Order: sequence, then C-alpha cells, then structure tokens
Amino acid sequence: MLLLGLAISVPANGQSGGPDEDHAGFVPVISGGAGYVHNVNGGITTLEPQINPVLLVPFGSHVLLESRTDFTGFFQREHGTEGPFKGKVFKTVEFAQIEWLANTHITIIAGKYLLPFGIYNERLQPIWIKNLQDAPITAVIGTRTSGAGDGFQLRGVATQHPTYSIQYSAYFSAKSDINQLESARVAGGDVSVFLPRARLEVGTSYQRFLQDREINSEAGYVSWQPRKTPLDLKAEFDASYYGRGYWLEGAYRFTDLPIPRLMQRTQFVTRLQHFFPSHGGGNSLPRVNNQRVDFGLNYYVRDDLRFISSYGRSFSSQGNANVWNIGFTYRFLFPLWPGRRQS
Amino acid sequence: MKELIFTLAIMIALGTAAQENSTTKTQDHPQKATTSHAQAATTGDEVFQANCSRCHTPPMSISPRTTGTIIMHMRTRARLSREDEIKLLRFMAP
Repeated sequence: MLLLGLAISVPANGQSGGPDEDHAGFVPVISGGAGYVHNVNGGITTLEPQINPVLLVPFGSHVLLESRTDFTGFFQREHGTEGPFKGKVFKTVEFAQIEWLANTHITIIAGKYLLPFGIYNERLQPIWIKNLQDAPITAVIGTRTSGAGDGFQLRGVATQHPTYSIQYSAYFSAKSDINQLESARVAGGDVSVFLPRARLEVGTSYQRFLQDREINSEAGYVSWQPRKTPLDLKAEFDASYYGRGYWLEGAYRFTDLPIPRLMQRTQFVTRLQHFFPSHGGGNSLPRVNNQRVDFGLNYYVRDDLRFISSYGRSFSSQGNANVWNIGFTYRFLFPLWPGRRQS
Repeated sequence: MKELIFTLAIMIALGTAAQENSTTKTQDHPQKATTSHAQAATTGDEVFQANCSRCHTPPMSISPRTTGTIIMHMRTRARLSREDEIKLLRFMAP
C-alpha cells in the first residue's frame, strides 16, 4: 500500500525528480537478451534457443516495476545421439518486483527478486552478459530453490567517497510453492567494497536457509577490470553444508593488440573451477569431487551482438567429459511507446 | 552435423548483416562528452566506465527516451548512489 501510494503521488511524466532529470526520458521499456546455443556435452547434443525479455515500467523517477521472463527451449535427439530432435520450451518468471528508490542510500524492493548471493545469479546470469554460457558449478549455492526470493529486500550504497564505496543488500524471503513464484524461506545479505579508481570490487554474501535442514551459505568474491588493460577478472568462493568450491574467470578483449581492426573485436575467456562435496553433496551440486576448465572465444560484431564459442573439459571420478558451446547472443532495448523528450 | 552447419550459416548471415549496419552507427557517448556538458560528461563517463564494465560491455548508444528508465534499473542493480545516477543522466542524455 505504501509503495502504491508513492507510485500514485509521483507524477507520471517522470520529470518531477528535480532539475537534474529534465534531460532524460522515463518511458516503459522492453530490454533483455536473446540467443541460441548449440551445446554438446559428453556427446549429447542440445539445441537451446532462448529469449529473456525484461519489462521496465517507471512510475515517476523513484518507483520502478520490473520483471524478467525466461523462455528457453531444450531440444535433444530422441535416442541420445540418434533420432529426431524433441524437446520443449520452458517459461520462467525470473523476477517481478517493484522498487522504490527512496534516497541515495536505500532502495526498497518488494515482490519476487533475484537472490543477491555472490556475483553470478544477480549480475552475470543474463545470456548477453556471461562470458561463458555454462554456469559455474557453485552457482546453485545460496540461490536455492529457484534463484529468487519472495518478500522484501533493502539495498543501496551505505557510504560513498571518491576513492571507495560500500554497497549492501539485505533480504527476507518466504516459502512459496505457487506456480512461477516458487521460493524458499531464507534470509541473507551481501556487502561489497568498490574502489572506482582501481575498478576493483571485493564482496561477501551470507544466507541462512530457514526450512527443512537449516543451513548457512557463504560466498566471497572479487571483480577487477584494470584501467589500462581490456581485462575482466572475476573470482568467487562459495561454501554450504553440501560442499564448497571456487571459480576463477578471466576475459581479455583484443582491442589493444596490434592486429587488424576486425580481429580486435575478439575476446578470449578462460575459467577454472573446483568443487568439493560435503555430506554427500546433492541439492543440485555434484556428489563427487569435480574439476572443470573452460576456454572460450567470443566475437563482438557490435556491442549488442556477439558470436560465442567455448570448449570445456570436466574431470570427476564419475567420468571426464568434453563440453562444447557455439552460438550467438543479442541484447535488445526498445521503448514501449514514444516518450517526448524535453528540451 | 546438419544442425551445426545450420547454426554456423545463421551466424555468418547475422554477422554480415550486422557488420553493414555497424558502419553507419554512431557512437553517441564519446560525441556527447565533447559538448557543453563536458564537465558533467567527464565525471559521468568515469561513472559509466567504472560501473557498467563491472558486469557487462557498456552499450555504445541508448535512446535518450529510454535513458531515465534504464539508469533507474541500473541504479538498483548496481547499487549506485543518487549522485552517480545524476552524473549518468547528464552524461548519457545531456
């Protein structure tokens, strides 16, 4: 009710936030990513077309309704490596939330939101963002049961200085079995320190799973994009009752290399990961020790369209396997209706 | 094998089409940084480069009509301050 009242009280033209906002448009927007991935894992081919539209509806300049729905098809040969392709398209409402940007320090979120645990689930998961299409093994830690929570979340920047800022998230989610709103009863939070001059971020996440077996999950992560090198380094360590593991990822754009301009749009990616199960593992985690290394080459035709390819090799006592991915991703962004830009 | 060839064919077609479009596409942000909003753009550019690249490749152009909405979204997602939001607005939609 409070949020509804706020939404109504803020004029709908969105230009009421003060003179600083006179130059920007606040119109409903459809954004998101689309793509196609041809995956071969241990000899089994899977065709994965997908589209993830994000709907953004502003109510003035302080309240935003946003939702992302994922449509992903999984098509495999009927008899493993032979026969016609069969499968289905899965639809998932990944989040549907209303945000009140209360002030510079606090944004209040209500609804179904992505669980802010580590850096993968909330920030790197969209198809057009992730450098490698397969999620890290430990991405399921801290994101049970659906990757999203139903309830409330507070987030924002606790303090900001020219040399550093401290950011936080805190949330509580209720258990839900409602179709498309599945979530677990969890509470948790995330804190990170960002050094803008060094472009270095260091953070940690904590979550308490409050149903069935009550367990704690923790994560620590680092993200660094050096100023003078087109390098993107990310690393995360995750731990829970069912196991612990880490992943290290580096991505290098060829933009600074003395090579033909067309080749400078290439990006080389590599990721190393290791998972150690505890108490038998399970809950979407491997039950045996698992190592994996991935190498990828992406080619940015434009900033919104790229070709992707990668090769990975996983090692475990249950058998080693090769994983190939090839395809393309596309990021789109459209206003839903013409908005008049003030001059 | 057929589906792999089909995928490659689609990728080549898309690449050829996109390549032609990209030659006529302007890069809005560097140009805007040289306008009368240069001071705001300088700080806005720093905020833009530092924060967007934490997760993804910064987009080269965004329609001014959608800028306010997108920056609201990014302020929440990237946990930006109001000050950074204003700098980004001035830089991306001067």
